[in-house]
Amino acid sequence: MASPVGKIRILLGIAGRNLFASRARTAIIGAILLLGTALVVAGSSLVESVDRGMRSSIQGSLGGHLQVYSAASKDELALYGGMGREPLLEPIVDFARVKEALSRVPNVKRVVPMGIDQALVAGGNQLDIGLEKLRADVRFLEGGDRSAELLRRYEAHKSHLRRMISLLWDELQASRALADDQLIRDRKQANEDLARASSPAFWDGFEKDRLGSLEFLENRVAPQAMEGTTTFVRYVGTDIDAFMEAFDRAYVVEGERVPKGQRGILLGKWYAEEYLKLKSARRLDKLKDARDYQRRTIAADAELQRWVKENQSQLNEIQMQLDPLQAEEAVARLQKGLGSSEKELGKLLSELLRTSDADFDHKYRLYYEQLAPLLQLYSIRVGDTITIKAASRSGFINSVNVKVYGFVHFRGLEKSRLAGVMSLLDLMTWRDLYGYLSREQSEEMTALRAAAGTRQVSRENAEAELFGGGGGVEAVSQKAARIDEAAVLADIGGRKKSDDLFDRVYTQEERDRGVALNAAILLRDPSRLRQTQAELEKAAPGLGLKVVDWQKASGLVGQSVSLFRMVLYTAVLIIFAVALVIINNAMVMATLQRVREIGTMRAIGAQRRFVTAMLLVETAAVSLLFGAGGAGLGAFAVWLIRALGGIPAGNDQLYFFFSGPALLPTLGTTSVAISMALVLVVSLISGFYPALIAMKVSPVEAMASDD
Amino acid sequence: MKKTALALLLALAAPPALALSQKEAFDLVERFDERQRNSGDFTGLCYLEQKEKDKSDVVRELVYYRRSEGQRLLMLFTKPKAEAGKGYLRIEKNLWLYDPATGKWERRTERERIGGSDSRRGDFDEPRLTEEFDVKWEADEKLGAYGAHKLLLTAKEGVDVAYPTARIWYDSATGNMLKRQDLALSGRLMRTALYPRWKKVYSESKKGEVWYPEQIHIYDEIEKANSTTVVIKQVDLRPLTANMFTKAWLEAKSR
Repeated sequence: MASPVGKIRILLGIAGRNLFASRARTAIIGAILLLGTALVVAGSSLVESVDRGMRSSIQGSLGGHLQVYSAASKDELALYGGMGREPLLEPIVDFARVKEALSRVPNVKRVVPMGIDQALVAGGNQLDIGLEKLRADVRFLEGGDRSAELLRRYEAHKSHLRRMISLLWDELQASRALADDQLIRDRKQANEDLARASSPAFWDGFEKDRLGSLEFLENRVAPQAMEGTTTFVRYVGTDIDAFMEAFDRAYVVEGERVPKGQRGILLGKWYAEEYLKLKSARRLDKLKDARDYQRRTIAADAELQRWVKENQSQLNEIQMQLDPLQAEEAVARLQKGLGSSEKELGKLLSELLRTSDADFDHKYRLYYEQLAPLLQLYSIRVGDTITIKAASRSGFINSVNVKVYGFVHFRGLEKSRLAGVMSLLDLMTWRDLYGYLSREQSEEMTALRAAAGTRQVSRENAEAELFGGGGGVEAVSQKAARIDEAAVLADIGGRKKSDDLFDRVYTQEERDRGVALNAAILLRDPSRLRQTQAELEKAAPGLGLKVVDWQKASGLVGQSVSLFRMVLYTAVLIIFAVALVIINNAMVMATLQRVREIGTMRAIGAQRRFVTAMLLVETAAVSLLFGAGGAGLGAFAVWLIRALGGIPAGNDQLYFFFSGPALLPTLGTTSVAISMALVLVVSLISGFYPALIAMKVSPVEAMASDD
Repeated sequence: MKKTALALLLALAAPPALALSQKEAFDLVERFDERQRNSGDFTGLCYLEQKEKDKSDVVRELVYYRRSEGQRLLMLFTKPKAEAGKGYLRIEKNLWLYDPATGKWERRTERERIGGSDSRRGDFDEPRLTEEFDVKWEADEKLGAYGAHKLLLTAKEGVDVAYPTARIWYDSATGNMLKRQDLALSGRLMRTALYPRWKKVYSESKKGEVWYPEQIHIYDEIEKANSTTVVIKQVDLRPLTANMFTKAWLEAKSR
């Protein structure tokens, strides 16, 4: 009787001989196992890497480790936006209380207040913007200011405006050539107004009636210019200091941080590039990106050709920006750069923007080095005050002025829309826009409702209720009132502009005391996330809060990674299910071919258990051998992907999921262990049925069989 | 069978709907427009109660000034405090919005929802329906207990109005507007306004009476949960200061 070790040695010897004897069968089964294992190792490494990338992107940009928000909220928190709109969250009325309670949980390092929303950035057309600047100067002049700086600025704004009107006049004269008689007749008044605004006489008489002249330009001339573009800004209202300390990926790329405790905004740099940059510059950037990184050419790509055409046909946005002196300088610079003697700026610009593969790099440099310094490349610059407007919680449209201190990026996510579109707004300005109704305001509203004495009529019953009386709606005659203007207008005036609060420094207590919509929680030890979440949940009911992890808080973004993971695991599962069937079939066939051999072995004394063990050892040997090979192949694939620079992020979303421009996968030990275990289990299951068949073979049957 | 025959007989015996001729329809609208004109200055004090989906109900007090000459209009929110000083100023074809919190003027369109409510500039301005629309009689109908002429108004070429088409029900006894539906170019119903009561005051400048609706119930037909009620509390017809309809006046008041 052989010892167990001796038995195993015998079994391995037989298995080795058999596997070698059936080389073709072993190769087929081995190849399936090899590929399956390689796929599991490489695939799960990729999923782990994406998981890690996304965790890093979300935790480092907006999510933190955990998030809390009001349990009474209608929607779930979605940091990166919900289905076409921001989720409706009930406010956390007293953030200070929440912060104090949550900070008591030992693993909580920091609690950062947040409120995410979107608002309109007010804008007008170029003429409107120019007129607004001039009106601001006129206000000072009418107020008696005669400082040299104001007069210089006033004259500069006036001459810039005059040039814009002259360009508009030229443009409309050119389009008159294409217009029909009816259109010319319809535009007669508009044309006369523009002619008047372009005439030297108008500007000579400007000083006599500055306000009247401004109203004429604002109401008769500016509407004739192109429509202005309005943009939306998505922001997180937060304690900016706490945010910058908590989210180390955030950094100011241009400008400076909002001074501690003050009001201000840091605009997302990605947002600025995409929505605030001059369109021609943005298109040139996109052309450069397409040529340099995507290996596309203008000659062969219709989209690139369209961008070039659009750049040539939209020169006004550049021309309108230049005052007469700048326009002259631009002509000189472009003549030199293009080697042209053309004197008209429009034609030189058209030549500059008519780019081909041959001259693109030269013209791109020329644009940025010579022309761009004369232009305002972004419609909003660091130091500007912008007006943003949002539908408030209280039902009013609230507007605020806010100073732009800089542009913010998230490290490693510079090209990601999901992260880069976000701007950081101070909490006090956010609260002004959010418009949570205080108790005093609610009481004022109740009093107003009583004064209005409105009769509420539901839509369904309106006609029956309002017109059920019959007899004609004769007007009731009454005496005209004498409205007391002083009383009615008592609340008007003396109101501070939001600009007046720019220099005010708010204490930490003032910032904490008030409304927030959600809060990010940063942990001292992130590996104890689940345990801390449970502890916070215990604390949360008293506060009326819901606690969610970073992935749940990220809404659709988090769900898409779960989906990606599910798809990959389903694919692996299918492959192994197929492998199971194939291996099983191959083994059954092989076992049936070996009936005589098994019978012989049984005849010379081999027990059924021995035969079964022999077959299972064969299967296990194959799976271990090729599984290890497959794991090695998968590891090699992971290494190769890294060595070749990773999988490039082809779009904004992938940039976010990969947490950078490319996914650099790393081999996970868990991936290898799981895949090896999976291969072994699949193999043994598939080898079990043939083993059962073999067990049933009796020596007599085997000897009688031909096969 | 007997019932059907009887119904048919009654239908045949009923008097036919009396169609208004083109001129009669035009005159009806012209008379309605004229009744609301003052040929001078007009000040109205009103409340706007606004109901909006997922938001708290809000009420605003608003004073609006009109001057027939130059078709000027100024609307100024006076309450609550948070809204006081915001205003709309119409100068020629431009509708400007001023916000004292920012000190900025912004050009708005005819579609502007006044203060974010369901009301439009036209709900406060002197009506100029015959100047802006072509008028056509559609039917005579019952509206509750009232008999009404239903007219279809289509915006004239090149005229800037909030909606290109309107369907209006005028009380056939008094000529007052009872109901107005505003429709988009596609024919989609956008909003419905009901005018249950009218008032009139004697005007020295007009040497006649000036009509105004005491209440307007406006229902948003796109977002069904939204509605606005306008209640006009007082009307004053005394002349206003000459420079009232300028940006400078509103800026000075709000300063």
